[in-house]
Amino acid sequence: MSNSSVGRRRLIPRWRVKSSSLSRRFRVPGTKRSLLRFEGRYNPKTLQRELILRDKKPLFWLIGLFALAFIPIAIGQQLVFSIFGSICFFAAVNVFWTLIIGTAGLQSFASLATVGVGAYAATYLSITYGISWPVMLVIGTAFGGLMGLIISIPARRLDGLYYALLTIGISEFCRNYITQSDALGGQFNGALFGADRIVPEEAMQTTTGQTIAYLTSFVVLLISLAIFRVVSGGRIGILLRTAQSSKEDESFASAIGIDFQRARLLVFLIASAALGFVGAFYATNQGGASLSLFSLDQMLLLLAMIVIGGLGKAEGAVVGTVIVVFLNQWFTSWGPWRIVLVGILMLASVLYTRNGLFGLRQQLIEIRERRKALSRATRTTRYGAFLPEQGPEIPDKGVIAEREFERAIRDQLRDWITPEIIEEHRLSPMGQHSDHLERILNYFRKQPISNKYVVYCEESYKAYRVVALSGIPGVPPRSVDDKTYSNLDEAYHAVFLRRINDLKSQH
Amino acid sequence: MIELLASALVLASMYGLVAVGISLTWSSVGMLNLAQGFVFTAGGYVAYLFAQYMAKNFSIRDGLILSLGVVVLGMLGSAVAGLLVGGLAFLPLHDRINFPVRGLIATLAISIIGTQIFMVIFGPQSKPLPQIFGIKRLKFGEFSIAYGQIGTIVVATIVLLLVTLWMRNSRRGLQMRAMMMNPLGANMVGVSVRTTGMIALALSGALSGLASVLLGQIFFVSPTSGVQPLIVGLIISLAGGLGSMPGTVAAAVLLGLVEAVTARYAEQSLVPFAQFALVIAILTFRPRGLGGVLEDVRE
Repeated sequence: MSNSSVGRRRLIPRWRVKSSSLSRRFRVPGTKRSLLRFEGRYNPKTLQRELILRDKKPLFWLIGLFALAFIPIAIGQQLVFSIFGSICFFAAVNVFWTLIIGTAGLQSFASLATVGVGAYAATYLSITYGISWPVMLVIGTAFGGLMGLIISIPARRLDGLYYALLTIGISEFCRNYITQSDALGGQFNGALFGADRIVPEEAMQTTTGQTIAYLTSFVVLLISLAIFRVVSGGRIGILLRTAQSSKEDESFASAIGIDFQRARLLVFLIASAALGFVGAFYATNQGGASLSLFSLDQMLLLLAMIVIGGLGKAEGAVVGTVIVVFLNQWFTSWGPWRIVLVGILMLASVLYTRNGLFGLRQQLIEIRERRKALSRATRTTRYGAFLPEQGPEIPDKGVIAEREFERAIRDQLRDWITPEIIEEHRLSPMGQHSDHLERILNYFRKQPISNKYVVYCEESYKAYRVVALSGIPGVPPRSVDDKTYSNLDEAYHAVFLRRINDLKSQH
Repeated sequence: MIELLASALVLASMYGLVAVGISLTWSSVGMLNLAQGFVFTAGGYVAYLFAQYMAKNFSIRDGLILSLGVVVLGMLGSAVAGLLVGGLAFLPLHDRINFPVRGLIATLAISIIGTQIFMVIFGPQSKPLPQIFGIKRLKFGEFSIAYGQIGTIVVATIVLLLVTLWMRNSRRGLQMRAMMMNPLGANMVGVSVRTTGMIALALSGALSGLASVLLGQIFFVSPTSGVQPLIVGLIISLAGGLGSMPGTVAAAVLLGLVEAVTARYAEQSLVPFAQFALVIAILTFRPRGLGGVLEDVRE
């Protein structure tokens, strides 16, 4: 943030550094990136070199992920493990869905179905051919990519809502297919279990087994965040952001040579394959797949998570997931009311925020800026020495304070100017005066030279005139009027009257 | 054959009512109303409460008064629910940025909340609605058609015709069509976007309320009974072209026919497959649907 407004103080942690170590900076090997974005500057007051942390997000990520990893292990109960396991699983799905909706800009609602396809394919092949879990993960990834390829075909012709509804249709289609298919557990209402697990079933009864199972889901979440970072923060993400917000942007992007359709499909395929991987992981974690992966309700819940957190941001996806999954699985005794609460949260975040929880900060900053500008525009007493909108443009705030001080003095002196004071000055312009008159005169004496009224002697003891100094060496004073005064006291009083006049008209 | 046609038309008329409502809302308000399922269920429950009340206090279990009351109150209840959706999602959001997506999510949230509240009040069990057309059957030689089917087809056709005429000839209809073409332009020539939008929402609500009461002849009312009509209605309004009444009706008839034929000659479980295959085929060849009026009008 620049110093775009008056009087804002934001907490920016500073590190004093030696000026000899200024150019030393850690970079991630193989890239030009550094882990934390520091900005070097000189402190305007102490003139010492210091570093400012400009982007605090990585720190928050680190703290949040640490908490996510260690809270369930510290508590060590089965319920907490299962809640946090769901959080990791859904968060991974949501992160990839954010990649599809936010980065690629395709309104696909079939992401949970892609997870389901990966899970069912891996489970089925594991049960039928007895393959082990690493192969299941590979198979899930392959099937997810295949599913992505199939769904992406209509994306070339349809856009927006049409595509959204088509993908809803596709996931309903998948659900129906599984309820019909005997091989995929249709007779057990779609429950297909018996796949190879990462942590064997008997080990799941022990805390150690649960901890390992939880940590594997956490690793999947980390993988998903890493993929999000690489895809969305990399070159392809930049290309897609050019074509993101409107039709005009798309035309612009293609005009400067960005094949955004290809980039979009590539991101979609990557995300779909990754979703298939998450699905296969689900199968290896739960030992199978169930029909809830395809249900519309579950998808709406996922949408609620993304919307509450903020669309298009990884942190929004994760935090929204934490909130909704916690509400949904911790308060199970509330029955339907907890879903109502989720719905109300969703409605509130749509009605009152522009982009969920993580758009809130920007929104609040904008509201504050607007209020500040408004109050600055209506304020007449403070900053009165110059136009209100000039305020932000003066970098040295001391100047503002000085002008305010001068203005306060002028206001005070103006109140003191009375006919009695003027009469007192007329009677004796020089010599000892009352307190108020003395202060007024002192103020006048302090004023800058340019345009200062002075007495000009045309002829000694006979003719005096009032002139104004130019303030520039070599430029003569200008005459103010053509009145001449016969003695010095009258001339002094004339200067005094003019200065008082100016003081009254000045604000 | 006649039985097949009759059941196809019954389905078509019910889907058509819901789909026309969705299509109308989308084209005039610019918001895809995913709470239409909730609106649909609300009408059903109001009609159910009315029937319960009549049976308990006046021991009226069938007859003209009950039928009329059920239909009128069902439509009224749904219209009120439509206004509620409008008040919660349309009025606060319609002049904000990113309205289409935010409106869609808001209506989705309303739908989630509404479904769960119905679950709390009425429980998950299905509630029966009275047979408003009686339970007799009309015989043609060897074929027979239930009065309910004929009544449903006739009522839906009349109502859809009335709505079409109203849209074409009345001043409100003119305003609504103006809003479909260009909301900003309509606003500039003095059409109140808020009033017209609320009327459109109430009207589409009343249409789905009617569909709900008519569907109550075949299915029962339950908290989630709105999901199926919503999905099918969305598909139909898509396939028909959002905003086009004739296209929507044509698509409704097509999908009803496909459903009836598939259920008759293949299996009931294959119905969604057949419907989706049809819709994908339509959208592949005409990406804006059969009617396809809203090419670049709404942005």
